[in-house]
Amino acid sequence: MFTFIKIALRNIIRNKRRSLITVSAVGFGLGALIFIWSFVDGAHIQMIENYTSLLTGHIQIHSRGFNQREQLEINISNPQEIINIIEDESPLVEASPRIKAFGLISSPEYSSGIIILGVDPLQEIKVSSLHKRLKSGEFLDEAESNEIVIGESLARNLNVSLGDKVVIMSQAFDGSIAAGAYYVKGVLDTGAEEIDKSVVLIAYDAAQELFVMPDRASEIVLRLENVENSPAEALKFRQLLSGKGLEVLPWQEISPILKQWIEFDNGFIWIIVMVVMIVVAIGILNTVLMGVLERTREFGILLSIGTRRRQIITTVAWESLFLGVIGSLIGLCIGYFLSVYFGTAGIDLSVFTQALSSFYMEAVIYPRLSLGHLLTSMALVLFTSIIVSVYPAWHAANLKPVEAIRSI
Amino acid sequence: MLIQIRNLTKIYKVDSIETPALRGINLDIERGEFLTIAGPSGSGKTSLLNIIGGLDTLTSGAVLYENTDITKISISRLASFRLKQIGFVFQAYNLINTLTAVENVEYVMLLQGVDVKTRRQRAVSMLERVGLGEYIKRFPNEMSGGQQQRVAVARAIAAHPKVVLADEPTANLDSKSGEALIGLMRQLNEEKNITFIFSTHDKMVMDKAKRQVFIRDGEIQK
Ligand SMILES: Nc1ncnc2c1ncn2[C@@H]1O[C@H](COP(=O)(O)OP(=O)(O)OP(=O)(O)O)[C@@H](O)[C@H]1O
Ligand SMILES: [Mg+2]
Repeated sequence: MFTFIKIALRNIIRNKRRSLITVSAVGFGLGALIFIWSFVDGAHIQMIENYTSLLTGHIQIHSRGFNQREQLEINISNPQEIINIIEDESPLVEASPRIKAFGLISSPEYSSGIIILGVDPLQEIKVSSLHKRLKSGEFLDEAESNEIVIGESLARNLNVSLGDKVVIMSQAFDGSIAAGAYYVKGVLDTGAEEIDKSVVLIAYDAAQELFVMPDRASEIVLRLENVENSPAEALKFRQLLSGKGLEVLPWQEISPILKQWIEFDNGFIWIIVMVVMIVVAIGILNTVLMGVLERTREFGILLSIGTRRRQIITTVAWESLFLGVIGSLIGLCIGYFLSVYFGTAGIDLSVFTQALSSFYMEAVIYPRLSLGHLLTSMALVLFTSIIVSVYPAWHAANLKPVEAIRSI
Repeated sequence: MLIQIRNLTKIYKVDSIETPALRGINLDIERGEFLTIAGPSGSGKTSLLNIIGGLDTLTSGAVLYENTDITKISISRLASFRLKQIGFVFQAYNLINTLTAVENVEYVMLLQGVDVKTRRQRAVSMLERVGLGEYIKRFPNEMSGGQQQRVAVARAIAAHPKVVLADEPTANLDSKSGEALIGLMRQLNEEKNITFIFSTHDKMVMDKAKRQVFIRDGEIQK
C-alpha cells in the first residue's frame, strides 16, 4: 500500500507545474464556494433577523388554532404563567404578550381597516424592533393608556399627525362593542408597507381593557439569543408546554414565504456547487489522465512484472485523491480566511443594492461561515476527485502489457 | 525439463491482414540454461519471448512449465505465475521512474509479499552484487542506460524467479556496457542456477550464450 501511495505522491511532485495548476483550480473553486456559501448564509441570517425582529419574533405561542384563524376568541388565559415557565427554563429568552384584533380606525375625515396590536411597552422593545422604526414621536409608555402608535402610510391616509386624536372601533371578547379614543404618540416607518398602512399599537393594559379580556393574550412572542435555534427551541418549548392547548411555532411556520424564499436561494447555491464540482472534475481528470497516458509504458512494465489491476487502480486513485486533498486544503484556507475576514469587516453592497435595500436587507452583508456547509463543500470536492479517477484508473488497469510496453 | 514449447504459432491480425510471426516453434529448455534467441529484425524474437513469459496469447500450440500449460490458465493466475516464476528485463526504460534504484528492486518482492526488512536487505545486496552499491538512492533518470539495465537485472534476480526473460537487453547500450551486462547475467546464472533466456541480433552478444537458437521468419533454424 505504502509503495503505491509513494508512487502516486511522487508523480504529483514530478509534474510540479501541472499539479500546481490543478490544485490551484481546485483550491480557488472550493475557496469561492465556501465564501459564497458564507456570504449567502450571512445575508440570510441578516434577512431573517431583520424580518423576525420587526414584528414576528423568533417563536410565537398561541392558543391552538390561532395561526390558522386569527380570532380574539382563540386566546391564551394567564399568559404570565406561561412566560414564567419559559423564563425558568431558559432565562435568556425574552418574552412579550400581545393582544391582536381587527378593527376600524377613524380620524375626523377618514377611516381605515386595521390590525390592533396591544403590546407591553417594556417587554415589546426586547422582542421586536418596532420602537427603533419611529419616524417621529415616541414609542408607547406603560403608564399612559390612551396613546397610539400608527404607521406612516396610515397617518397619511387618515391625515393625522402627532398629538391628533383617532378613534378605534372593534368587537370585544365578550361580544360587546369595543371603542376608544387615542392620541397619536408616534409614527412608524418600518419600510414594510403592509405594516405601515395597517398596524396600530396600543398598550397591552389598554388593550385588555378595550377588548374586555383581563389576563389574556392572543400571542406570546419570544426572542432567542440566536435565531438559528428557532426550530429546535420551539420543539423544546412545545414539549415543555404540552397539554396546555397551545401551539408553539418557529418563524418558519409563521412566515412560510420567507422560508420558501430562503430555500429557493439555497437551491441556487447548489447550482454553484455543481459548477465548482465540474471545474474540479475537469481539472483533476485532465491532470490524472495526462499523467496516465504519459506513463503507458510504465504501466505496461508494472503489469508485466506482476502488479495486480486493482493495485494499478489504487495508485491512480491515490494520485487523484492527493490532488483533491491538497486542493481542498488550499480552498479551505482561502474560503475560511475570506469568510472570517469579511465576517467582521462586512461587504458593502450599497453601490449595487440601492433598489434592493429594504426593511429586511441591508447594504452591508457579513458572511457567516457554517461548519456544516464548509464540510459539505470539502466532502463534495474530495468525492469528485475520487469519482473522476475512475476512468483513468480503469484505462491504466486494462492496458495490455505487451502493447503498453511497445509504446514510448 | 523446465520449459517445453510445442508447435507454437502466432499470427497477428490487424484489420483482417494476417502476419504470421511464429510458424511452429518447438523448443525444450532445461533448468540453469543460458540461452540466446538470435535472429534478424522481424524474425519473431519478441513474439516468442512474450509468449514464453505469459504476456501475450498464442494462436496455437502449447507452452509447458514443468508440465503445466500456461496458455490454458486464467489471466489472474497467469499474473501471479509471472510474479512468482519469471523475471523480466526489457530493452530499455524498465524501471519505475518515481522509485529509486533500491525501491525498484524491492518492488517485485513487495508484490510477492516479502517483508520489509528482508526485501530491503536483499535489494541492497543485489545492487551491490551488480556493482551499484553507491547508487541505491538514485532515481532512474540519474543513471546511465547500462546502470538502469543492471538495476533491472537486479530486480529480476532479487525476486528469486525460475527464469529470467530478457528481450534485447543490450540493444540500447554501447558494446562495452552490453558485453558487461551479459557477463553479469552469465555470472548470476552460474552462481544462482537461474535460467536465462535472452534475445539479440548482435553477434558479439550471442557468442556469450551457452546455447544459441537461431530464428528466421518465425521458424527455428537447424
Ligand atoms: N502487434 C503486432 N501486430 C501486428 N504485427 C506484429 C505485431 N508485433 C509484431 N508483429 C509482426 O510480427 C513479426 C515478428 O515481430 P517481432 O517483433 O516478434 O520480431 P523481432 O524479432 O522481435 O524483431 P526486432 O528485432 O525488430 O525486435 C514481424 O513481421 C512484425 O511486423
Ligand atoms: Mg523485438
